[in-house]
Amino acid sequence: MSAPHVIVIGAGSTGAATAHDLALRGFRVTVLERGEIANQTTGRNHCLLHSGGRYCVKDQESAIECIDENLILRRIMPEALELNDGLFVAITEEDLAFKQLFVAGCVACHIPYREISPQRALALEPFLNPKLLAAVQVPDGVFEPWRFCLAFLATAKHNGASVRAFAEVTDLLRSGSAVTGVKVRDLRTGQTETLGADLVVNATGPWAGEIAHLGGVDVPVQPTAGVMVTVDRRLNNMVVNRLDKPSDGDIVVPQRQTSIIGTTSWTILDPDQIDIPKDHIDKMIHKGQELIPAIAQRVVRGVGAAARPLIRKANTDEREVSRTFECFDHKYDGVEGFVTISGGKTTTARGMAEKVTDLVAGKLGVSAECRTRTTPLLSYRLFYN
Amino acid sequence: MAIEVPVKMFRCKAGEAPRFEAHRVSVPDDANVIDVIDAVWRQDNTLMFRHACHHASCGTCAVRVNGYEKLPCIVPVREAMAGQTEMVIEPLRNFPLVGDLVVDVTSFFQKQAASGMVITRAAEPSLDGRAYERAEVFDDAGRLDTRPYNRFENCIECGICLSACPTLSATDRFFGPAGLAAVRRAVQTTPDPRRKSLLLALADSDHGVWQCHSAFECTEACPQDVDPAGAIMALRRELAVRKLKAVFGLGGH
Repeated sequence: MSAPHVIVIGAGSTGAATAHDLALRGFRVTVLERGEIANQTTGRNHCLLHSGGRYCVKDQESAIECIDENLILRRIMPEALELNDGLFVAITEEDLAFKQLFVAGCVACHIPYREISPQRALALEPFLNPKLLAAVQVPDGVFEPWRFCLAFLATAKHNGASVRAFAEVTDLLRSGSAVTGVKVRDLRTGQTETLGADLVVNATGPWAGEIAHLGGVDVPVQPTAGVMVTVDRRLNNMVVNRLDKPSDGDIVVPQRQTSIIGTTSWTILDPDQIDIPKDHIDKMIHKGQELIPAIAQRVVRGVGAAARPLIRKANTDEREVSRTFECFDHKYDGVEGFVTISGGKTTTARGMAEKVTDLVAGKLGVSAECRTRTTPLLSYRLFYN
Repeated sequence: MAIEVPVKMFRCKAGEAPRFEAHRVSVPDDANVIDVIDAVWRQDNTLMFRHACHHASCGTCAVRVNGYEKLPCIVPVREAMAGQTEMVIEPLRNFPLVGDLVVDVTSFFQKQAASGMVITRAAEPSLDGRAYERAEVFDDAGRLDTRPYNRFENCIECGICLSACPTLSATDRFFGPAGLAAVRRAVQTTPDPRRKSLLLALADSDHGVWQCHSAFECTEACPQDVDPAGAIMALRRELAVRKLKAVFGLGGH
């Protein structure tokens, strides 16, 4: 008997990591992505390999996921990472008052940290606001999101997966109460075909609600946009964060030659129609200068926005929605052969993939265990082979 | 403030003749060209285009805008429309076409892999944040490779240099600017003399540096100041010196 066939919809970081885990466990895998790899949420994320520091006070579950996955990715994906650490800096007395909570959070979430003096911080990062009052160093890092996904997909392809970009799922095939495959439109030819599957994984991030509706079910994903503003020079070596609870414009991520200021947060209805509010861009430039005043002298090089796939909970502000992920087995909604994985972050994509692949393996009676924690990924360039 | 942009978009599906499709889109006056492409996509989501980061680090979105290779994510619409009445958007040249604005980058990435050079480094040094004057960036010979920002690792593998290359327009028997820039950097950094000889043999092959027409179009078009032409010239000098030394019996290394 041949291995079960699983279709993964979406080739952002979640879909890419899930394809890798499934292929490594011996499934036949087809990834369908309506555009380029990582063309939306993952592609336009912050490039931040989280240490967990940003969440260690308000959302410790996310923080622990982040540090665990951070340490795993350092082992399996060296080629796409810049490992320069991160600094949380206090600029105001109010920030300084947050430091104790922050350090306690790091301890609680086993995030390695080191407090360094403002003088030392300025010696390491000469463009920091010279008025800083305190600095705490943590193991943040930086990745390149598109290549991050290609590394997972290159390895999945090597293990037999088929990855199709510009292939848009337009409907789900149903047989009774079960999902049995997809209808897919190949944008290269304009032709529509059907593909059968033993199970379909919905890894479409902020689009998860739309795909779930095709299967007649609902998932509580709340698309929440954020804007990133990139300036034309690298102004910091380490990731620089505001030592405070997450807020708008509180982080400057250096990536290769540039620095990326982020971010804002606003709820949207349609993740295909994001109009970037001009005042959000101005706010990034303005707030970013509180951390790194030299931003004022730089030229904006690029501005991007994409929707985060946050999991909706009742009566919460979008900043307070947990950044952890959820895996939904739609058999509990009366639909077999269909699961959704959503929420989470690119940093935790491998962990999300492990959880959804455990679920898929259980449903399809495959006993292979997850090996992605220790399996090194191939070069992203081998995606093109 | 919004601006109206008349667009002529290159469209081509498999098995069909290419055509230009007229669109009119409205974007904020500080938008970049990628926002124009996205606005056309919102009108017709069968348009195929590559994009991811929108800040010139992934390298996927390169196209030709009014005839010139550009990264639409960092080119302001105002700049692209200066002196123009419409915006003509076409795919890169010198790559097989997949459809619409999408080209097949398979053989490009295979060549990029040949040198073994990784563009993302584990650590980048802190850099001086001030802008360079042009005189600081280009020396008298037009070379960039001694400057801190101008090195192969700045390459984002966008393919613009291949599209701009007149040699590749004439022949496919050429390794191409980005791949040779990577070979040059690998030659500079490898401590292994045998590997260095193999890399130089690749550069010296009939697909190598001698095919280059020295037009410097690649360096002109590169959005990252990688200066592939400078790298090709440097490889030619190194190969010439080696050959001379070999002729005069001074050793090949």
